[in-house]
Amino acid sequence: MKKGILKQIKSSWVLYLMLFPALLYFSIFHVVPLIGMKLAFQDYRIIGDNVWVGWKHFKILFSSPAFLDVLKNTIIISVMKIVFFFPIPIILSLLINEVRVGKFRKYVQSIVYLPHFLSWVIIAGIWIAFLNPEDGGVNVIRSFFNMPSLDFMTSKDHIRWVLVFQEIWRSAGWDSIIYLAAILKISPSLYEAAKIDGASKIQQMRYITLPSLTSTIMTVFILNLGFFMNAGFDQVFNMMNNSVISVIDILDTYVYRIGLLNGQYAYATAASLFKGVIGVVLILSTHFISKRFTGKGVW
Amino acid sequence: MINKLKKWSISTVIIYSILFLISLTVLVPLLHLLAMSLSDPLKVHKLSGLGIIPEGFSLINYKILLSNPLIIKSIFNTLFITIVGTAVNLLLTAMTAYVLARTKFPGRNFVMIFLIVIMVFEPGLIPEYLLVKNLGLLDTYASLILYKTINIFYLFIMMRFFEDVPESILEAARMDGAGHFRIFTKIMLPLSKPALATMGLFYGVYHWNEYFRATIYLTDTGKWPLQLVLRQFVVERDNTSLLGAQNFLSYDQIATLDFASLQAGTIIISVVPLLLIYPLILKYYAKGAFEGGVKD
Repeated sequence: MKKGILKQIKSSWVLYLMLFPALLYFSIFHVVPLIGMKLAFQDYRIIGDNVWVGWKHFKILFSSPAFLDVLKNTIIISVMKIVFFFPIPIILSLLINEVRVGKFRKYVQSIVYLPHFLSWVIIAGIWIAFLNPEDGGVNVIRSFFNMPSLDFMTSKDHIRWVLVFQEIWRSAGWDSIIYLAAILKISPSLYEAAKIDGASKIQQMRYITLPSLTSTIMTVFILNLGFFMNAGFDQVFNMMNNSVISVIDILDTYVYRIGLLNGQYAYATAASLFKGVIGVVLILSTHFISKRFTGKGVW
Repeated sequence: MINKLKKWSISTVIIYSILFLISLTVLVPLLHLLAMSLSDPLKVHKLSGLGIIPEGFSLINYKILLSNPLIIKSIFNTLFITIVGTAVNLLLTAMTAYVLARTKFPGRNFVMIFLIVIMVFEPGLIPEYLLVKNLGLLDTYASLILYKTINIFYLFIMMRFFEDVPESILEAARMDGAGHFRIFTKIMLPLSKPALATMGLFYGVYHWNEYFRATIYLTDTGKWPLQLVLRQFVVERDNTSLLGAQNFLSYDQIATLDFASLQAGTIIISVVPLLLIYPLILKYYAKGAFEGGVKD
């Protein structure tokens, strides 16, 4: 039996050779930095070995008001996005599904998917121009309704809402795809029967389409929870400015600033490890919850 | 006629109007920036924030932008990183996916578990940066190409594509004495062109839009990708490098330039290539996502 396995290994050498680049890549560029997270428990030394310091950085972290603010911002922004962004792609898919004119449907879909493919730099650029307090499009509309001009980009009261609306603008279209695909799988005979019974469009939506979408909605919701601590690094990174940093600085931007700009490698790694551990717990639990309730996991 | 009108009930009209307005929120900002970049710098102040028709017409903004060595260089840098990066991504992802999806060998389960563990445990930014630094890869294109060279999500999607290739074809090749590498290059890859196109677009769009790794790994502005130059001009509002090299313009001309229009032009320049391949994106990327319920 043992000989059999050895023989199999020997005859599979081409396969190992084909796997080798991938395994080598992951070992160097994934496993090494993963082990490197131990820096969170060390003091970084440019010359010589790092010194073990135990939980020192974590103690400083949790007594630092700056870090607690960042943690609060991350949670607030994530919750706002879940509450106000999450339903939009569902509603959008229901609306698109009602469109029977093929050409119009195709144009709408092509247009609303587009922002998903633009980089966050471009999106920030477009929004900065459009929110311009002097002649930006949004303030043109505001002045039409006799509302005073507003500098959204530097307003602490508005910037989080800007992030939410921007997320809707960028992702609602693209995210509606998954629901549209699920709607297409609903049997047309259900609608036929409903029509015979005299159900209106709204009633069909309420009693056929929405209930059929429940499991998809659950899956997407659970999977999103796994990325709760992210809150959208690229978005915040590009929309950030000194006037609003106190309300939109999130964990990832904090790690970047403290670590790479200020050079506090070990301290930043501790913040990053804290976020990573919560992330892993969330992803693992959402995976098993999702698998249990919908049969579909993260992998 | 009456029948036709009846079909257009009030709710239908409302739904079409809402979708039309939503489409406008995407189109108007883009068309506005296009109009701004094509306007005469002396008249552009007359353009409303919602205007989509240029005030006057001038190509001066594009003339300036496309004669700027930093921008030209960055376009070539981005093309290089995107093409080489995507090629490496595709080769490694496809080869690994073939071995894991279509062959049996001792240790396969171990490799699969390793990949899932790696997918769940993401290393942090700082150790990644220190690794790239210690390997001497700072200020090299390799630092960008070697980031997520194999995206594990994409690898799993690729495996699903490969699982759809009928076993009988592979079996026939094996009977003819073809080895695994031959089967992979001569049968699997040619049969998977749509899957490779989809995957190539996944990776390609990522490389085209990437700016953050470039921010932290590249200090040499001559190596910067377009997105980073764009970020410098539009997000950081740094116009010195933009106007620094304009020796073919007189001071009077520079004084009349509109900085916002130049920013708009830079955005348009980086959006246009994406629009050119957008039909392909809709055909492969969106279709792949639609059919697979794949989301990234």
